[in-house]
Amino acid sequence: MDVQEAYLRDIVWPANYNEIPKEIFNRQDLYQAEIARIFRGPEWHPVAHESEVPNPGDFKTCNLADVPLLVIRGDDGKVRVFFNACSHRSTQIEVKPSGNRKEFECPYHRWLFNSEGELVGCPNQREFIPGFEKKDYPLAQPRQESVGGLLFVTLSPDTESLDDFLQEAKGSLMEVMAGDGRLKLIGYHRVRYLTNWKAYSDNDGYHPPLLHQAFTMLNWQGGEGRQYATTGRGHYCIETKLTLPQPTNLIRDTSVIHFRDEGRPKSSSVLALFPMLVASNYLNVISIRFATPVAIDEVEVTYAYFAHEDDDEDMVLHRIRQSSNAIGPSGLISMEDASVFHRVQIGNRAPGNAIFQKGVADPSRLGFEFRQNDESANLPHWEYYRAAMGFRRTAA
Amino acid sequence: MTRLTLDELAQLDELQTAYISALDGKKMRSWLDTFDEDPAASYICISRNDVENGLRIAMMLDDCRDRLIDRCTFVDDIWAGTFQDYRTRHFVQRVHASRRDDGQIEMTSNFSVIFTPDDTGLPQQLAAGTYEDVIRMEDGACRFLSRKAVTDNAVMPRYLVFPL
Ligand code: FES
Ligand SMILES: [Fe+2]
Repeated sequence: MDVQEAYLRDIVWPANYNEIPKEIFNRQDLYQAEIARIFRGPEWHPVAHESEVPNPGDFKTCNLADVPLLVIRGDDGKVRVFFNACSHRSTQIEVKPSGNRKEFECPYHRWLFNSEGELVGCPNQREFIPGFEKKDYPLAQPRQESVGGLLFVTLSPDTESLDDFLQEAKGSLMEVMAGDGRLKLIGYHRVRYLTNWKAYSDNDGYHPPLLHQAFTMLNWQGGEGRQYATTGRGHYCIETKLTLPQPTNLIRDTSVIHFRDEGRPKSSSVLALFPMLVASNYLNVISIRFATPVAIDEVEVTYAYFAHEDDDEDMVLHRIRQSSNAIGPSGLISMEDASVFHRVQIGNRAPGNAIFQKGVADPSRLGFEFRQNDESANLPHWEYYRAAMGFRRTAA
Repeated sequence: MTRLTLDELAQLDELQTAYISALDGKKMRSWLDTFDEDPAASYICISRNDVENGLRIAMMLDDCRDRLIDRCTFVDDIWAGTFQDYRTRHFVQRVHASRRDDGQIEMTSNFSVIFTPDDTGLPQQLAAGTYEDVIRMEDGACRFLSRKAVTDNAVMPRYLVFPL
């Protein structure tokens, strides 16, 4: 079975670490291979934070690429991820995006599951295969692990532990989740972007002061900070001291960019985990962007926003008002990203390589520490992708 | 709750068409002019799913007049030249209007918004839903104290630049 895939034959991966062949954004055969290797393969994918389903029976449905998932908080208080598919003949169990149920009934032959996924009822059981027992037919579950209440799943038995997958990014992820992960859901933004999943996750640290004009117009300088990437998956993270804009007449309601003290060091973190998660803690906005490919040129992103369990009502309201208008798909300091996702996807249909510049001191070497506005921090992520998909780098 | 007169209904239609023309003509200041001077005048654009689940984060949460003014600044000044421009066509149908006991008018309408991005030139559905409004109609003036655009879309097909 040593037939080489067509995309491996056709696509020439350049020798330099800072060059990415544009063809990888547009090859249907490669996209199918990515679904198998990355989304159904040995990687961890975040699907929900436990606070999205705070009460027993609360559920949410979502997709990991094309695989339907159902997240339920059981009567025992534990949050579990199931495949959203009946253990009989695989009918989709739940159709609503979220809600609360005591039990989940499959409409086809009325098998009934409790909130812990156990089969508790099925009509005509006496005529089933000899030795049939309900306990052998719970809703099936993918492997799952969590950090700070953030649940990850993997469809492969071979994936290393979540800790080993995250490496140093685990600490940054906890930082984003207010240090302890004791979050409270305050809402969502859901949007589709017309771009390949890799173009969505390639959003860099170089662009913020350039693309996002609010920073310039508000005379808002970024703080001191660092950017690093992990050696395993090339997760990358920007951690900076939070700075605030100068007093301004440009906007009248400055609460949208006002920082209220949370009793923690004033910092901001933006974290990008391989393959697609972006999570950030910026001003008073805590956001986890669950994202999944829908098609080769389309992704769906659910921006989930959180308050902290210890917030008073004023703080919760402030977070709601700021999260709505500052950093979402129509946010004052972020709307422009969406437009770039679309335009990069269109531009990538042109031949050649995309070439990274900012922070690339030596194209023949991969670094893991960067300045905060370097785009080179994305390169370890790209290197992991290249190796995972089996592309051979051209000899220098 | 009392029934509205034909003249009052005509005033509501004028407000509705002023709102539509402002957005379809990308005139944010004219959009602002459809709202009352009250400092608490508001515009909220949120998905029905979230409303039903008691979640308050909105696509646009302009819950005071200052934020309405800032919305115009975002679109006209801060975001100028960064987004893929598009043109909208709003189709709006009033389904309920009456005067409340406190004297304000409440109105509900269905909306359907088609958009045509400059770069593709292909019209597509952007959103469908209902407007839930509170309107002050006094001394010949008729403007929104609050307009809430509740989208049936659980997912937006792309990012929003202009209000719905
Ligand atoms: S498929 Fe669900 S009960 Fe038969
Ligand atoms: Fe950005």
